[in-house]
Amino acid sequence: MSEDTQRKTPTIELRHVEKHFGDLHVLKDVSLQVEKGEVLVLIGPSGSGKSTLCRTINRLETIDSGEILIEGKPLPQEGKELAAMRAEIGMVFQQFNLFAHKTILENVTMGPVEVLHVDKKKAEQEAMELLRRVGVAEQASKVPAQLSGGQQQRVAIARSLAMHPKAMLFDEPTSALDPEMINEVLDVMVELAREGMTMVVVTHEMNFARRVADRVEFMADGQILEEGDPNEFFDHPKTERAREFLESIKGH
Amino acid sequence: MSAADSVSMRDALYEAPGPRTRRRIVVGTVVSSVAIVAIVAWVVARLYEMGQFDSRYWYFFAQWSTWRFLLMGLAGTAEVALCAGAIALVLGILFMLGRISHNRVVSTVFRVVINFFRGIPSLLLIYFFFLVIPSYGIKMPSFWMLTLPIALTASGVLAEVFRAGVNAVPKGQREAALSIGMTEGKVMRKIILPQAIRYVIPSLISQLVVVVKDTSVAYVVSYPDLLQNARVLISNYDALVSVYFVVAIIYILINYAINQWAVNLARRSGAKVVTRSQENPV
Amino acid sequence: MSIQELFSLYGGMYVKAYGATLWMTVVSYVGAMLLALLVTIARVSPISPLRKVGDLYVQIFRNVATISLLIIFYYAFPYLGVVWSEQTCVIVVTVLVAASFGSENFMTGINTIGVGQIEAARSLGLSFRQMLKNVVIPQALRSSVLPMTNLLVAVMLTTAIGSQVPLDPQELTGLVSYINTMSVGGILPFAVSAVLYAGTAFLIGLAGNAIDKRVRILR
Repeated sequence: MSEDTQRKTPTIELRHVEKHFGDLHVLKDVSLQVEKGEVLVLIGPSGSGKSTLCRTINRLETIDSGEILIEGKPLPQEGKELAAMRAEIGMVFQQFNLFAHKTILENVTMGPVEVLHVDKKKAEQEAMELLRRVGVAEQASKVPAQLSGGQQQRVAIARSLAMHPKAMLFDEPTSALDPEMINEVLDVMVELAREGMTMVVVTHEMNFARRVADRVEFMADGQILEEGDPNEFFDHPKTERAREFLESIKGH
Repeated sequence: MSAADSVSMRDALYEAPGPRTRRRIVVGTVVSSVAIVAIVAWVVARLYEMGQFDSRYWYFFAQWSTWRFLLMGLAGTAEVALCAGAIALVLGILFMLGRISHNRVVSTVFRVVINFFRGIPSLLLIYFFFLVIPSYGIKMPSFWMLTLPIALTASGVLAEVFRAGVNAVPKGQREAALSIGMTEGKVMRKIILPQAIRYVIPSLISQLVVVVKDTSVAYVVSYPDLLQNARVLISNYDALVSVYFVVAIIYILINYAINQWAVNLARRSGAKVVTRSQENPV
Repeated sequence: MSIQELFSLYGGMYVKAYGATLWMTVVSYVGAMLLALLVTIARVSPISPLRKVGDLYVQIFRNVATISLLIIFYYAFPYLGVVWSEQTCVIVVTVLVAASFGSENFMTGINTIGVGQIEAARSLGLSFRQMLKNVVIPQALRSSVLPMTNLLVAVMLTTAIGSQVPLDPQELTGLVSYINTMSVGGILPFAVSAVLYAGTAFLIGLAGNAIDKRVRILR
C-alpha cells in the first residue's frame, strides 16, 4: 500500500449505522470518519446516542445495520479477530472500570502480558513508565479502591496506552469525577492529542473541545445534526438544537 | 442481590453473539434440549416400568379426604414454623443486643450463646428436648419439643442477621440522636433498631424457609406436620414413592413462594438491603 | 452419668462419630462445590435450556426439606431399583442441597464484579477464557470466601440428617439418640456432641474470617 492511499483510509469509519434499543431508535443513519491523528469530539444532550456510538466502535454495542470500518477493514463480529481488533483500540470508561482485585501495576500489565505476550518484566518496566507519565507511579502497588477518581481514570488511560493502540475511545471520561479532579485527567488527554493520538472523545468539556478537537460532531436524538470546526461550532452553532444545548451547559 | 441484577450480569458475561457464535448457540440449544428430554423420558419410562404410574398409587389423590389430611399436616407445619419464627425473632434481637453490649462480660456470654446455637444442628437440639429434658421429669407437649429447638437454632442465625443490620445503620444517625439528648437505650429503640430491621427484612423472610425445612423432622417427636401425615398416608395406601413425591413438591412450592416474597420485597423497597452472606440450608 | 463413665463407655464411639461427621462433611462439601460449579456454568451459559435447568435445579434443592429428600433417597429409591448405602444417601442428599446454595454464592460473587470490568477486559482484547481466568473467577472466588465458609458449617450441620437412617458408624447426632436409648444419659452425651459441633463451626468461622481478611477485595 502506498503512502498516499494509506493516508486516505480513515482510521475509523462509520457508514449508515442504525441501532435500536427495543422501540428506541438510538442511532439513525450515522456516518462519520476519523482520520489518523485526528481528535474528534462527540457532544450532545444526554440520551442523544453519543455514548452508544462511541461503544459501537469496538463492538461493546452491536449495530442493527450499516458498516464500521477500522483502517478500511470491517469490524469483526466475534472471536479472535474481534479480540485482536479491540487490542488495537483503547477504551476509557466513565466509571474507570479498573480491575478491583489487581494492583495498579497489574492493571496496566494485564493487557500486554495476556494479549500481546510481552515478557512480564518488560511489561512492568513499560507500565511504570506510563504510570510516571500520567503521574501515578507512586501508587503502583496499591489497589484501585485506594486511589481517587482522577487517579483511577489516569491509570485507566495508562492501561489503554500499554496496548499501543491505533486509536483511543473516551466515553465521558470526566463525568464521574469531582470537579477538582477533572483537569488532571484532561491534561493527560491534551498531552495525548498533542502527540498525535487518534481520539474519539464523548464529553461535555467545552474548553477541552475548543483546545484540542480537530472536529466536533453534535448529536441529538440519535442523529448527527452538526459537524465542524470546534470554534466555529461553539461560537456560531447552525441548528436550533445546538444553540439550546450550548446555552444549557454554559450555565455551569 | 436481586434477580434483576443477576440476569444482567449473566448476559454481560457473554457478549452479543456474532453469526458463528449464534450458530453454535443454536446447536447447543438443540443438543441440550434433546439431552434433557431424553433424560426426563428415561426417568418417566423407568418409573412406568416399575409400575409407579399404577392407579393404586395415585387414585387417593383424587379424594378430598387425602388432601384434607395433608392440609392438616401443612397447618401443623405452619403453626410450628410461625411460632418458632416469632420466638426466634424476639430471641434474635435479644441475643444481638447482648452481643453488641459495651459490657465485655455480657457481650462475650452472648457471643458464646449465639455461636453455640448457630453451630449445632437443630436435630441435635430436638433430641435434647425429646430425650433429655423429659428424663429430668419435665413434661412438654410435642409441639414445644419441636418448636423450641427450631426457634433456638434460628435465633442464633437471626442475631447475626440483626447485627449486620445494626452495623449498616450509618454512624451519624446515632451521633445525631445522642446530640439531641436521647439516651443510649432510646437511640437503639427509636432510631437504630427500626432502620436495622427494615434493612434485613428480606433476610428474615429467607430464614423462614430454613425454619419451614427444619420442621420436617417433626416425626421424631410424633408431631403431626406435613411429612408426618404423609407417612400415615403411606402406611394406609402403601404408596411410598407417589406420596413422598407430592410432599416434596409441596415443600418446594411453599418455600419457593416464601423466597419470591423476600425477593419482591427487597426489590420493591429499593432501599439498601443487608443480607447475611448465607443462610443455613439444613 | 459422670463424664468419666460416659467416656469410658462411649469415648471410642464419640471419636468414631466425630470422624464420621467430619468425613461426610468434607466429602459432601467437595462434591457440593464441584456440582455448584457445574450448575453455575449452566446458569450463566448462553444456551437457554441449560440456564433453565440450572435455575430449576437451584429452586428445587434450596427449597426442598432436606429430610424429605433423604427419606426419598433411602426409602423410596429402592422401590425404583436404586439401592444405596446409608452413608451414600446422606452424602448425596447433602451434596445436592448444598450445591444449590453454593451456586447461589457463586452467582452473587459474579454479580459483585460488575459489567464495567468485563467490558474493560473485553476492550483490552482479552478472549472469553482470559477474561474468566484473569477477571471473573479470581474475583468471584475471593468475594465468596465468607459465604462458602458458612456453607461448610451448614454442610456439617446438614450431615446430622444421618441420624435418621441406620448409619454405621453413627455420626454425632445419631450417637446422642443411641446413647439415650441405651442408658439414661442426661445432659452430658448431648453436651459433648454439641460442643464438638459448635467448636468445629467456630474454628471454621475463624479460619474463614482469616482467609477473607487476606483476600477481600476493596471496592
